Amino acid sequence: MKKRKNKKSYFFYDFVKITAAIPGLLWFRPKRIYASEAAKQRIRGGALLIANHSSNIDPIILMFGIYYRRHHFIATKELFDTRFKRFWFENFHCIEIDRENFGMGSFRSIIDMLKADKLISMFPEGHVTNNEEVQKFKSGMVLMAVSSGKPIVPVYIKVRKRFWQRQYVIIGEPINPTAMLQKMPTLSDMDRVAELLREKEKELKEIADSIGLKKRKKPIVKNDANKKSSIHKESQQDEIRDKTPV
Amino acid sequence: MQLSRKEILEKLQDIMISINDNDRERIEACTEQTRLVEDLGLTSVGMLYLVIVLEESFRIKFEDVGAATFSTVAKVIDYIEEKIK
Repeated sequence: MKKRKNKKSYFFYDFVKITAAIPGLLWFRPKRIYASEAAKQRIRGGALLIANHSSNIDPIILMFGIYYRRHHFIATKELFDTRFKRFWFENFHCIEIDRENFGMGSFRSIIDMLKADKLISMFPEGHVTNNEEVQKFKSGMVLMAVSSGKPIVPVYIKVRKRFWQRQYVIIGEPINPTAMLQKMPTLSDMDRVAELLREKEKELKEIADSIGLKKRKKPIVKNDANKKSSIHKESQQDEIRDKTPV
Repeated sequence: MQLSRKEILEKLQDIMISINDNDRERIEACTEQTRLVEDLGLTSVGMLYLVIVLEESFRIKFEDVGAATFSTVAKVIDYIEEKIK
Protein backbone atom coordinates (compact mmCIF):
# COMPACT_ATOMS: atom_id res chain seq x y z
CA MET A 1 0.00 0.00 0.00
CA LYS A 2 1.27 3.42 -0.90
CA LYS A 3 2.15 5.47 2.17
CA ARG A 4 0.27 8.77 2.25
CA LYS A 5 2.56 11.74 2.70
CA ASN A 6 1.75 14.04 5.58
CA LYS A 7 2.43 17.12 3.46
CA LYS A 8 0.13 20.11 3.47
CA SER A 9 -1.08 21.18 0.06
CA TYR A 10 -0.41 24.61 -1.44
CA PHE A 11 -3.71 24.52 -3.39
CA PHE A 12 -5.53 27.10 -1.21
CA TYR A 13 -2.46 29.33 -1.11
CA ASP A 14 -2.01 29.29 -4.88
CA PHE A 15 -5.75 29.64 -5.54
CA VAL A 16 -6.06 32.77 -3.38
CA LYS A 17 -2.81 34.17 -4.77
CA ILE A 18 -3.97 33.80 -8.37
CA THR A 19 -7.51 35.08 -7.81
CA ALA A 20 -6.32 38.07 -5.76
CA ALA A 21 -3.51 38.94 -8.17
CA ILE A 22 -5.44 41.19 -10.58
CA PRO A 23 -7.42 43.22 -7.99
CA GLY A 24 -4.25 43.47 -5.89
CA LEU A 25 -2.15 44.69 -8.81
CA LEU A 26 -4.78 47.28 -9.71
CA TRP A 27 -5.12 48.50 -6.13
CA PHE A 28 -1.45 48.62 -5.11
CA ARG A 29 0.27 48.97 -8.51
CA PRO A 30 3.38 47.51 -6.87
CA LYS A 31 6.77 48.70 -8.08
CA ARG A 32 9.95 46.84 -7.20
CA ILE A 33 13.15 48.81 -6.81
CA TYR A 34 16.47 47.08 -6.33
CA ALA A 35 19.10 48.63 -4.09
CA SER A 36 21.99 47.39 -6.25
CA GLU A 37 22.87 45.12 -9.14
CA ALA A 38 23.49 42.26 -6.69
CA ALA A 39 19.96 42.69 -5.32
CA LYS A 40 18.46 42.17 -8.77
CA GLN A 41 19.10 38.43 -8.77
CA ARG A 42 16.09 36.26 -7.95
CA ILE A 43 15.96 34.70 -4.51
CA ARG A 44 16.56 31.01 -5.01
CA GLY A 45 16.62 28.26 -2.40
CA GLY A 46 16.12 28.74 1.31
CA ALA A 47 16.24 32.32 2.55
CA LEU A 48 14.91 34.58 5.27
CA LEU A 49 13.05 37.62 4.03
CA ILE A 50 12.89 40.46 6.53
CA ALA A 51 10.86 43.66 6.25
CA ASN A 52 9.64 46.65 8.23
CA HIS A 53 6.16 46.23 9.69
CA SER A 54 4.16 49.44 9.51
CA SER A 55 0.74 48.00 8.69
CA ASN A 56 -1.30 44.81 8.74
CA ILE A 57 -1.23 44.50 4.94
CA ASP A 58 2.58 44.20 4.81
CA PRO A 59 2.49 40.41 4.23
CA ILE A 60 0.32 40.97 1.12
CA ILE A 61 2.71 43.64 -0.18
CA LEU A 62 5.68 41.34 0.43
CA MET A 63 3.91 38.69 -1.63
CA PHE A 64 3.61 41.18 -4.48
CA GLY A 65 7.24 42.23 -4.01
CA ILE A 66 8.65 38.71 -4.24
CA TYR A 67 5.81 37.29 -6.34
CA TYR A 68 7.69 34.32 -7.75
CA ARG A 69 8.12 32.52 -4.41
CA ARG A 70 5.74 31.02 -1.85
CA HIS A 71 6.11 32.85 1.44
CA HIS A 72 5.96 31.17 4.83
CA PHE A 73 5.27 33.90 7.35
CA ILE A 74 6.20 33.69 10.99
CA ALA A 75 3.09 34.71 12.95
CA THR A 76 2.41 35.02 16.66
CA LYS A 77 -0.04 32.60 18.27
CA GLU A 78 -2.46 35.49 19.00
CA LEU A 79 -3.20 35.60 15.27
CA PHE A 80 -4.50 32.03 15.41
CA ASP A 81 -7.06 32.72 18.16
CA THR A 82 -10.29 32.11 16.16
CA ARG A 83 -11.18 29.16 13.94
CA PHE A 84 -11.55 31.46 10.93
CA LYS A 85 -8.15 33.05 11.39
CA ARG A 86 -6.53 29.69 12.12
CA PHE A 87 -7.98 28.32 8.85
CA TRP A 88 -6.48 31.19 6.85
CA PHE A 89 -3.10 31.28 8.52
CA GLU A 90 -2.65 27.52 8.48
CA ASN A 91 -3.63 27.28 4.82
CA PHE A 92 -1.19 30.06 4.08
CA HIS A 93 1.52 27.92 5.68
CA CYS A 94 2.24 30.46 8.42
CA ILE A 95 4.46 29.28 11.25
CA GLU A 96 2.88 29.80 14.66
CA ILE A 97 5.22 31.03 17.39
CA ASP A 98 4.77 32.06 20.98
CA ARG A 99 6.47 35.41 21.43
CA GLU A 100 6.68 35.03 25.20
CA ASN A 101 7.97 31.48 25.13
CA PHE A 102 9.60 30.83 21.77
CA GLY A 103 10.04 27.06 21.81
CA MET A 104 12.45 24.66 20.18
CA GLY A 105 9.56 23.00 18.27
CA SER A 106 8.79 26.16 16.28
CA PHE A 107 12.48 26.92 15.88
CA ARG A 108 13.22 23.45 14.52
CA SER A 109 10.34 23.63 12.03
CA ILE A 110 11.69 26.99 10.74
CA ILE A 111 15.20 25.54 10.35
CA ASP A 112 13.82 22.43 8.59
CA MET A 113 11.86 24.61 6.16
CA LEU A 114 14.89 26.78 5.43
CA LYS A 115 16.99 23.68 4.81
CA ALA A 116 14.23 22.39 2.50
CA ASP A 117 14.80 25.54 0.39
CA LYS A 118 11.63 27.34 1.49
CA LEU A 119 11.31 31.09 1.84
CA ILE A 120 10.59 32.27 5.39
CA SER A 121 9.25 35.81 5.68
CA MET A 122 9.25 37.70 8.93
CA PHE A 123 9.08 41.11 10.53
CA PRO A 124 12.00 41.38 12.97
CA GLU A 125 10.60 44.48 14.69
CA GLY A 126 8.20 42.02 16.31
CA HIS A 127 5.00 44.06 16.02
CA VAL A 128 3.16 46.56 13.81
CA THR A 129 4.93 49.88 14.35
CA ASN A 130 2.37 52.19 12.68
CA ASN A 131 5.12 54.53 11.51
CA GLU A 132 7.87 54.78 8.92
CA GLU A 133 10.81 54.54 11.32
CA VAL A 134 12.71 51.28 11.39
CA GLN A 135 12.73 50.09 14.98
CA LYS A 136 15.13 47.78 16.81
CA PHE A 137 15.41 44.30 15.28
CA LYS A 138 15.22 41.17 17.39
CA SER A 139 18.21 38.86 16.90
CA GLY A 140 16.17 35.65 16.46
CA MET A 141 16.45 35.89 12.65
CA VAL A 142 20.27 35.86 12.92
CA LEU A 143 20.13 32.68 15.00
CA MET A 144 17.83 31.13 12.37
CA ALA A 145 20.18 32.14 9.53
CA VAL A 146 23.27 30.88 11.38
CA SER A 147 21.62 27.56 12.31
CA SER A 148 20.45 26.92 8.75
CA GLY A 149 23.34 28.56 6.88
CA LYS A 150 20.89 30.52 4.72
CA PRO A 151 21.02 34.21 3.73
CA ILE A 152 18.83 37.08 4.93
CA VAL A 153 17.25 39.38 2.35
CA PRO A 154 16.23 42.83 3.65
CA VAL A 155 13.17 44.45 2.08
CA TYR A 156 11.66 47.86 2.79
CA ILE A 157 7.95 48.47 2.29
CA LYS A 158 7.31 52.15 1.62
CA VAL A 159 4.40 53.52 3.59
CA ARG A 160 1.64 54.79 1.28
CA LYS A 161 0.43 58.19 2.46
CA ARG A 162 -2.64 58.04 0.24
CA PHE A 163 -4.45 54.99 -1.05
CA TRP A 164 -4.10 55.98 -4.71
CA GLN A 165 -0.30 56.16 -4.52
CA ARG A 166 1.83 53.35 -5.96
CA GLN A 167 3.21 50.79 -3.58
CA TYR A 168 6.99 50.73 -3.66
CA VAL A 169 8.97 47.75 -2.41
CA ILE A 170 12.73 48.21 -2.11
CA ILE A 171 14.73 44.99 -2.26
CA GLY A 172 18.23 44.80 -0.82
CA GLU A 173 20.99 42.34 -1.55
CA PRO A 174 21.18 39.06 0.39
CA ILE A 175 23.39 39.05 3.47
CA ASN A 176 24.90 35.83 4.79
CA PRO A 177 25.46 36.02 8.57
CA THR A 178 27.22 32.63 8.58
CA ALA A 179 30.05 34.12 6.53
CA MET A 180 30.24 37.14 8.84
CA LEU A 181 30.38 35.27 12.12
CA GLN A 182 32.71 32.68 13.63
CA LYS A 183 31.63 29.07 14.06
CA MET A 184 30.15 29.64 17.51
CA PRO A 185 29.15 33.30 17.71
CA THR A 186 28.23 35.00 20.97
CA LEU A 187 24.84 36.58 21.59
CA SER A 188 26.40 40.04 21.33
CA ASP A 189 27.80 39.09 17.88
CA MET A 190 24.26 38.21 16.81
CA ASP A 191 22.96 41.51 18.19
CA ARG A 192 25.61 43.30 16.14
CA VAL A 193 24.47 41.53 12.95
CA ALA A 194 20.84 42.39 13.79
CA GLU A 195 21.90 46.04 14.14
CA LEU A 196 23.77 45.88 10.83
CA LEU A 197 20.64 44.54 9.14
CA ARG A 198 18.67 47.40 10.65
CA GLU A 199 21.19 49.83 9.15
CA LYS A 200 20.71 48.13 5.77
CA GLU A 201 16.95 48.52 6.19
CA LYS A 202 17.46 52.23 6.90
CA GLU A 203 19.49 52.54 3.69
CA LEU A 204 16.57 50.98 1.80
CA LYS A 205 14.25 53.48 3.49
CA GLU A 206 16.45 56.33 2.24
CA ILE A 207 16.12 54.97 -1.30
CA ALA A 208 12.33 54.79 -0.81
CA ASP A 209 12.22 58.37 0.51
CA SER A 210 14.25 59.67 -2.42
CA ILE A 211 11.68 58.29 -4.91
CA GLY A 212 9.00 60.58 -3.56
CA LEU A 213 11.33 63.58 -3.47
CA LYS A 214 12.37 63.26 -7.11
CA LYS A 215 8.76 63.21 -8.20
CA ARG A 216 7.65 66.06 -5.94
CA LYS A 217 10.63 68.31 -6.54
CA LYS A 218 9.21 70.43 -9.37
CA PRO A 219 5.71 71.06 -7.99
CA ILE A 220 7.20 72.18 -4.64
CA VAL A 221 9.33 74.84 -6.38
CA LYS A 222 6.32 75.89 -8.43
CA ASN A 223 4.14 76.12 -5.37
CA ASP A 224 6.78 78.13 -3.54
CA ALA A 225 7.03 80.51 -6.45
CA ASN A 226 3.24 80.90 -6.51
CA LYS A 227 3.23 81.39 -2.76
CA LYS A 228 5.99 84.02 -3.00
CA SER A 229 4.23 85.87 -5.80
CA SER A 230 0.92 85.79 -3.94
CA ILE A 231 2.65 87.13 -0.80
CA HIS A 232 4.28 89.82 -2.91
CA LYS A 233 0.92 90.75 -4.45
CA GLU A 234 -0.69 90.92 -1.00
CA SER A 235 2.06 93.18 0.34
CA GLN A 236 1.71 95.42 -2.75
CA GLN A 237 -2.03 95.65 -2.20
CA ASP A 238 -1.41 96.51 1.46
CA GLU A 239 0.99 99.28 0.43
CA ILE A 240 -1.59 100.70 -2.02
CA ARG A 241 -4.27 100.46 0.69
CA ASP A 242 -2.02 102.34 3.16
CA LYS A 243 -1.25 105.06 0.65
CA THR A 244 -4.84 105.67 -0.39
CA PRO A 245 -6.48 108.50 1.62
CA VAL A 246 -9.40 107.53 3.83
CA MET B 1 28.32 9.44 29.96
CA GLN B 2 27.95 9.69 33.71
CA LEU B 3 28.41 13.19 35.10
CA SER B 4 27.78 14.54 38.58
CA ARG B 5 25.59 17.61 39.12
CA LYS B 6 28.71 19.64 39.89
CA GLU B 7 30.36 18.62 36.62
CA ILE B 8 27.20 19.44 34.67
CA LEU B 9 27.05 22.87 36.35
CA GLU B 10 30.70 23.57 35.46
CA LYS B 11 30.14 22.53 31.86
CA LEU B 12 26.97 24.61 31.73
CA GLN B 13 28.88 27.64 33.04
CA ASP B 14 31.57 27.18 30.36
CA ILE B 15 28.93 26.99 27.65
CA MET B 16 27.08 30.05 28.94
CA ILE B 17 30.34 32.04 29.04
CA SER B 18 31.18 30.99 25.49
CA ILE B 19 27.85 32.25 24.18
CA ASN B 20 27.56 35.29 26.43
CA ASP B 21 31.02 36.62 27.30
CA ASN B 22 29.64 39.96 28.54
CA ASP B 23 28.25 38.36 31.71
CA ARG B 24 31.30 36.25 32.61
CA GLU B 25 31.37 37.33 36.29
CA ARG B 26 27.68 36.69 36.89
CA ILE B 27 27.86 33.29 35.19
CA GLU B 28 30.98 32.23 37.11
CA ALA B 29 29.27 33.14 40.38
CA CYS B 30 26.01 31.36 39.55
CA THR B 31 24.67 28.48 41.62
CA GLU B 32 21.85 26.01 41.06
CA GLN B 33 19.39 28.52 42.51
CA THR B 34 20.31 31.26 40.02
CA ARG B 35 17.39 32.29 37.83
CA LEU B 36 18.16 32.31 34.11
CA VAL B 37 16.01 35.23 33.02
CA GLU B 38 15.95 37.47 36.08
CA ASP B 39 19.53 36.93 37.36
CA LEU B 40 21.47 36.10 34.20
CA GLY B 41 19.36 38.21 31.85
CA LEU B 42 18.89 35.42 29.32
CA THR B 43 16.49 36.36 26.51
CA SER B 44 14.26 33.94 24.55
CA VAL B 45 16.85 33.92 21.75
CA GLY B 46 19.61 33.34 24.31
CA MET B 47 17.69 30.40 25.73
CA LEU B 48 17.23 28.83 22.28
CA TYR B 49 20.92 29.28 21.53
CA LEU B 50 21.84 27.75 24.88
CA VAL B 51 19.65 24.72 24.12
CA ILE B 52 21.26 24.30 20.65
CA VAL B 53 24.78 24.38 22.14
CA LEU B 54 23.79 22.08 25.03
CA GLU B 55 22.40 19.54 22.54
CA GLU B 56 25.75 19.49 20.72
CA SER B 57 27.88 19.40 23.86
CA PHE B 58 25.96 16.71 25.78
CA ARG B 59 24.79 14.88 22.62
CA ILE B 60 21.19 14.89 23.78
CA LYS B 61 17.98 16.13 22.21
CA PHE B 62 15.74 18.61 23.99
CA GLU B 63 11.98 18.36 23.52
CA ASP B 64 9.85 21.43 22.70
CA VAL B 65 11.39 23.56 25.44
CA GLY B 66 11.20 27.34 25.52
CA ALA B 67 12.35 30.36 27.48
CA ALA B 68 9.80 29.69 30.22
CA THR B 69 10.58 25.98 30.61
CA PHE B 70 13.70 26.45 32.71
CA SER B 71 13.34 29.03 35.41
CA THR B 72 16.56 28.17 37.28
CA VAL B 73 19.95 26.59 36.57
CA ALA B 74 18.87 23.61 38.72
CA LYS B 75 16.03 22.83 36.30
CA VAL B 76 18.45 22.75 33.35
CA ILE B 77 20.76 20.40 35.28
CA ASP B 78 17.77 18.17 36.19
CA TYR B 79 16.78 17.96 32.53
CA ILE B 80 20.32 17.13 31.33
CA GLU B 81 20.76 14.59 34.15
CA GLU B 82 17.53 12.88 33.12
CA LYS B 83 18.55 12.78 29.46
CA ILE B 84 22.10 11.44 29.90
CA LYS B 85 21.07 8.65 32.27
